[in-house]
Amino acid sequence: MFKEIFGFELRQQLKSPLFWMIAFAFAALAFSAAVSDHVQIGGGIGNTHRNAPFVITQWLIAFTLIGMFLITVFVAGAALRDFEAGTAELFFATPLSRKAYLGGRFAAGYLVSVGVLIAVALGLLIGSFMPWLDPARLGPTSLGAYAYAFAVFVLPNLFFVSALLFLLATLTRSMLSTYIGVIAFFVLWQIAVITAENLQHLELGALIDPFGLSALQLATRYWSVEERNTGLPDIAGMLLINRAIWLAAGAAMIAATLAFFRPDREGLRFWRRRALKAEAAFAPSGIAIKLPNVELRTGGRARFTQFLKLAWFDTRGVLGGVAFLVMLAFGLMNLGAELAYGNELFGTKPYPVTHLMMEAMEGSYKFLLFIVVGFYAGELVWRERAARVSEMMDAFSLPDWIPLAAKLVALTAVIIAFLAAGAIESMINQLLRGYIHLEPGLYLSYIALNALSFLLLGMLFLFLQVIANNKFLGYLLTVLFLVSRIALKQLNFDHHLYDYGSAPATPYSDMNGYGHFLAGHLWFQAYWACLALALMALAALYWPRGTAQGWKERGRIAAQRFRMPSRALIAASLIGFAGLGAWIFYNTNVLNQYVPEDRAKELKADYEKHYRQYKDLPQPRITDVKIDLDIHPQAHRLDVRGHYTLVNKTGAPISDLHMTMPVEMKLISLQFAPHDVLSDDRVAGYTIYRLKQPMQPGASMDFDFVLQYWSRGFRNTPDDTHVVDNGTFVDSRMFPHFGYQEDGQLIDRNDRRRYGLGPVPRMAKIDDQAARQNSLICCDADWVTFETTVSTDPDQIALAPGYLEREWSENGRRYFHYKMDKPILDFFSYQSARYTVKRDLWNGVALEVYYDARHDFNVDRMIESMKKSLQHYSLAYSPFQFRQMRVLEFPDYERFAQSFANTVPMSESIGFIADLKDPDDIDYVYYVVAHEVAHQWWAHQVIGARVQGVTMLDESFAQYSALMVQEQEYGPQQMRKFLQYELDRYLRGRGGELVEEMPLALNENQDYIHYRKGSVVMYSLKDYLGEDLVDKTLARYDRDKAFQQPPYTTTKEFLDYLREDAGPQWSPLIDDLFSKITIFDNRVTEATAKKRADGKYDVTIKLHAAKTYTDGAGKGTPAKILEPIEIGVFARAADGKERNEPVLLLEKRAIADGDSTITVTVNGEPYEAGIDPYNKLVDRVSADNRMRVTVQ
Amino acid sequence: MLQIRDLSKTYSNGVQALKSVSLDIPNGMFGLLGPNGAGKSTLMRTIATLQDPDTGTIRLNGLDVLSDKPAARRQLGYLPQEFGIYPKVSAQALLDHFAVLKGVTDRAERGSLVEALLRQVNLWDVRKRKLGTFSGGMRQRFGIAQALIGAPKLIIADEPTAGLDPEERNRFLNLLAEIGENVVVILSTHIVEDVTDLCPRMAIIALGQVLLSGEPAEAMASLEGRVWRRTVATAAIEDYKKRFTVLSTRLNGGKTIVHVLGDAKPEEGFETVAPDLEDVYFGQLRAQAASARAA
Repeated sequence: MFKEIFGFELRQQLKSPLFWMIAFAFAALAFSAAVSDHVQIGGGIGNTHRNAPFVITQWLIAFTLIGMFLITVFVAGAALRDFEAGTAELFFATPLSRKAYLGGRFAAGYLVSVGVLIAVALGLLIGSFMPWLDPARLGPTSLGAYAYAFAVFVLPNLFFVSALLFLLATLTRSMLSTYIGVIAFFVLWQIAVITAENLQHLELGALIDPFGLSALQLATRYWSVEERNTGLPDIAGMLLINRAIWLAAGAAMIAATLAFFRPDREGLRFWRRRALKAEAAFAPSGIAIKLPNVELRTGGRARFTQFLKLAWFDTRGVLGGVAFLVMLAFGLMNLGAELAYGNELFGTKPYPVTHLMMEAMEGSYKFLLFIVVGFYAGELVWRERAARVSEMMDAFSLPDWIPLAAKLVALTAVIIAFLAAGAIESMINQLLRGYIHLEPGLYLSYIALNALSFLLLGMLFLFLQVIANNKFLGYLLTVLFLVSRIALKQLNFDHHLYDYGSAPATPYSDMNGYGHFLAGHLWFQAYWACLALALMALAALYWPRGTAQGWKERGRIAAQRFRMPSRALIAASLIGFAGLGAWIFYNTNVLNQYVPEDRAKELKADYEKHYRQYKDLPQPRITDVKIDLDIHPQAHRLDVRGHYTLVNKTGAPISDLHMTMPVEMKLISLQFAPHDVLSDDRVAGYTIYRLKQPMQPGASMDFDFVLQYWSRGFRNTPDDTHVVDNGTFVDSRMFPHFGYQEDGQLIDRNDRRRYGLGPVPRMAKIDDQAARQNSLICCDADWVTFETTVSTDPDQIALAPGYLEREWSENGRRYFHYKMDKPILDFFSYQSARYTVKRDLWNGVALEVYYDARHDFNVDRMIESMKKSLQHYSLAYSPFQFRQMRVLEFPDYERFAQSFANTVPMSESIGFIADLKDPDDIDYVYYVVAHEVAHQWWAHQVIGARVQGVTMLDESFAQYSALMVQEQEYGPQQMRKFLQYELDRYLRGRGGELVEEMPLALNENQDYIHYRKGSVVMYSLKDYLGEDLVDKTLARYDRDKAFQQPPYTTTKEFLDYLREDAGPQWSPLIDDLFSKITIFDNRVTEATAKKRADGKYDVTIKLHAAKTYTDGAGKGTPAKILEPIEIGVFARAADGKERNEPVLLLEKRAIADGDSTITVTVNGEPYEAGIDPYNKLVDRVSADNRMRVTVQ
Repeated sequence: MLQIRDLSKTYSNGVQALKSVSLDIPNGMFGLLGPNGAGKSTLMRTIATLQDPDTGTIRLNGLDVLSDKPAARRQLGYLPQEFGIYPKVSAQALLDHFAVLKGVTDRAERGSLVEALLRQVNLWDVRKRKLGTFSGGMRQRFGIAQALIGAPKLIIADEPTAGLDPEERNRFLNLLAEIGENVVVILSTHIVEDVTDLCPRMAIIALGQVLLSGEPAEAMASLEGRVWRRTVATAAIEDYKKRFTVLSTRLNGGKTIVHVLGDAKPEEGFETVAPDLEDVYFGQLRAQAASARAA
């Protein structure tokens, strides 16, 4: 019997489109996880392969977890099937054993869930074979890893989850209650795991995690890259115990299900149901029927009433549907997690401004709507037929369009309800975080825009279901459509004109709102709406009614129905579709240039192939910049009239001038010495002029240009984010430059291979003397004089580096004349927006913050940071070279802060909206401002040569300078938290390295090295050598190298300064920090204390310490620990906060390699003890450097 | 008055469900009698505008049903042979829902109509109950209630008594009879008594063809003196079937009573009986089978 039940249930499940949709969606998710660099799980440290056994295992566990919510449908569905279909009594009347019945259902539900995970495994496996993956990041395919993951995790975990679901479903006989039960379980589990983590009970955490993830992490905590790439932990120890416990728990739940199951109609009842009334006797009246006279109306109002009635009926049906509620609950949970942890920077949350909430919904909530809409399009079209009510309804005199329109309304309601639920959760989240500036209007616009695009999809799905006239086929077509959409993008067919229902994104910024991106978006939506309308009209023609089968008959009926209103509707919508299509094409491909991604890469490759030969061609250098710039924010236009003075600084005559410019800049006119045009490549923006009279060494030349930038109409991709209604931000890159520009080269190894380019060009070696002629900023200027007049709309303020000489109004525009009184790098910016200004003064230096009036949260912190930074740097290094320092907000289209001469543009999402109310959080606003101000020294005074290590001289130094300001303000205790973040980001960055990890002093513009490792290394250095010595060296180096002409300085020169000042005993340390990749593995394995008779405590700390040098691929060789390492013992702070903890002992000690034991005596009761407790060293795992002390 | 002319329908699998069916159906109950698979449902669905014939016309009081389906549907009440309901909706709510969809969009009118209908089919007391808890008879009554919405001129009831217990069945037919005084009610069934009991006119249809159409009494009269009855041993039945046109056999107290059609007394032991409609029905089917064999 078991076999029959099992087989029947399995067939039912496999027939359900939901299974295939979910399996497909999961496989697609797994596939994209396997092929994308955006998602990383389990990669850990160094060059772990993307398909390492360890990574595969973690992915599969993660998917089991995510899948739990969807698997509910299968397992609980199996348990509830007979109750829902009303067939329960048929089964219970048979001599079927309880075991066979429940066992069969359970086994089938379980197997189907396993099927979903097999789809995931296939997705991962297939993904790992994709040709565009970098072969260097892949190891051999290990089928054993899949087998291991399934045997040890997937199968037991699914068994446990299925047993839990089955028990819940059997007990409650309600899908909804089951679902609520699962969510409750999930929440409890999260709380338990987090609590265990907080209590630092790793063993306990490993035991109580039903999914075994904590146990796996415990077992592999100290694994090397090599181990992760090749091995998997033995099933022993905590892992074995964990697996045994939870398998047993699953079995116990199955037993409980068997025990509690009641094979009767009522089931296990927790409450009594109201008794049903006895069946009414049927006694006909015997008298003639007198029914009230009613009129069957057919007018417009009647039709409308019918439409409303049906729409309401369908809407209610859908909104109460289990599938919808399941997806909704899952989505809301996912969103909740994103809202709780998203957008943190150094663990500090931003104010929950509405557009960040929208972003969270965009990333972690909205995607479920694809499933919801696809699923319900089918459910709705088939609703009457599934319930067989259509047998009656089809004979009603109801026009065909009314049911269809009602389905459309129901689908719209699902979409809006789903989006609105997300918006409400977001608003609640805002209120809970004490943020009361709700923007319901913005939420509404978000809901409206998204509802529109999902509605377009819904209309297509309805159409497909109607045309297919077979639910399964309809779902198949739906899935095929979604797949083809992804496939088209992969193949670089990315114009929205042929991607049904798609439209350019509408990036939102608080400063600029939706800006001019909304119009383009809406044009596309209107275009697709026209087609969708035609599809709906067509669907009405083919609306199934009665028993018509076969294409011929359906076609005949459709032809019959194809009368006046339909004809007009189809004709009008198709005309609209064509007309709007033409209008869009004119905008995206005529007014603007449409460049598909592959074409863009090809262009980059062509640029490199044609012009890289000129990389080292001597060119004159810019020495003088004068620019008149008219910003027309509303027209998205710039008019540029510029003047350069060019000087031949080489020792030989220059005859050819190679001018490059972004292709978006239209050259109106150009004036310089008599010349011929040798080649004019407008596609690459590279023009070669031959001077009639070669420029002699030392000679100078005027170079005048008139340019225009004008973003007209709208684009297929909203990438024209620079000149916008409010928040224009452009920089010197849009003006003419000379010689080959390396910035635009393709760096992806696979792209380079595909387009016939050699290996990724590496940065010039540190000893490359020719390269030292160029600074980091690059190659056509050293230091320039700068003067500019910039105009903008009358309600905006326009800014550029320099001091404001004059401001006036003319022709209804506002003009600003800025001038720099000393040479600066050829690196400047323009901004224009409706700014509010906050001004202050420090030692005669004007301090200004230009910000959006709504973002005034942290402006005072910025001023404060500017003051403290200027104070510290001018004392420690050298006087500040400018009379003014400014921070300027720009829109959220990009997220960075940048330092130009006396000018720091900062994205609205960095700092301006950081929520610094909690004093325990890291004040990164203060930090980022300090960092950018530090660049006024480390970049705008000392700039390195464009060779290996150069970014250490600006970024790592700026990090260090800012750290010192931060430490002064917040004390050394907060540094641990900060350094931990930096260390973790460095370690994560190593995992993503695609070329080669370099030591800090040789880094090749690698973010994770020059910022993240830079912080840790510089702080280490300061810790060993003392702040005074480091500052002294930096000051001396600054004094010698500031405003230096070529050849520019290198890290080698700096390290020489450092060694000289530090003395030979520190040479090994300096090498470890700067010239090698040094990784420690320091941890406390046990910490105990005994109270002595005199009230003091003897603390015994068992340690493990190890130092490794690794190569650029992450392969390590053990090294001897020479330097003393800090040992610390801490008492518990009165308020329990780490930043207030009393330090009982903190001293550097010589530590033996490997395991050792240290005993120290302290005066107070110890709470925590640690090795390198403040994370000053680069350590594989930063969290295990401290441990709670057990006082005996 | 419903006029059906030359209605033919052949399904894509080759089955010819209707063969040039012509019928004139006046107001009142009209019984459509035929075995399973005779084409009754196809004919009913075609009249109910749910299926297009290959050829033929249907006129209801002069209205061309097939070319003006919306108008025809306004005069139509259809109780399908098999239909579903939304199990979680109450009888009143669903009837109200259907009333709107049929065009009773005036709220007050609809309220009193729904009440009257539910009272009429005696579901008023259980109007709040979910339809999923209804018995087969109650569901069938609900079905007739929805068919009566909007005072239809043509009511089509496809096998409405199947699955009802005898009492339910009686009451149900009474209800139909009450309705059928001023409108056309077509009742399809394979149970002869249904027709005998309440249809002034009838047709017999088998293999897509109309075998007979007219008044039951007339049809019965035409067999007067030609139906013979005898009680025989059950084992001998096969022999009788070979030798005579056996209309029907019925068990009675362990023996079998056979009805045989014949112009003269078939053999000793037979006695003449007054023909009933069942004899007519089976007589037609046997005749059709015989002519099919002959052809």
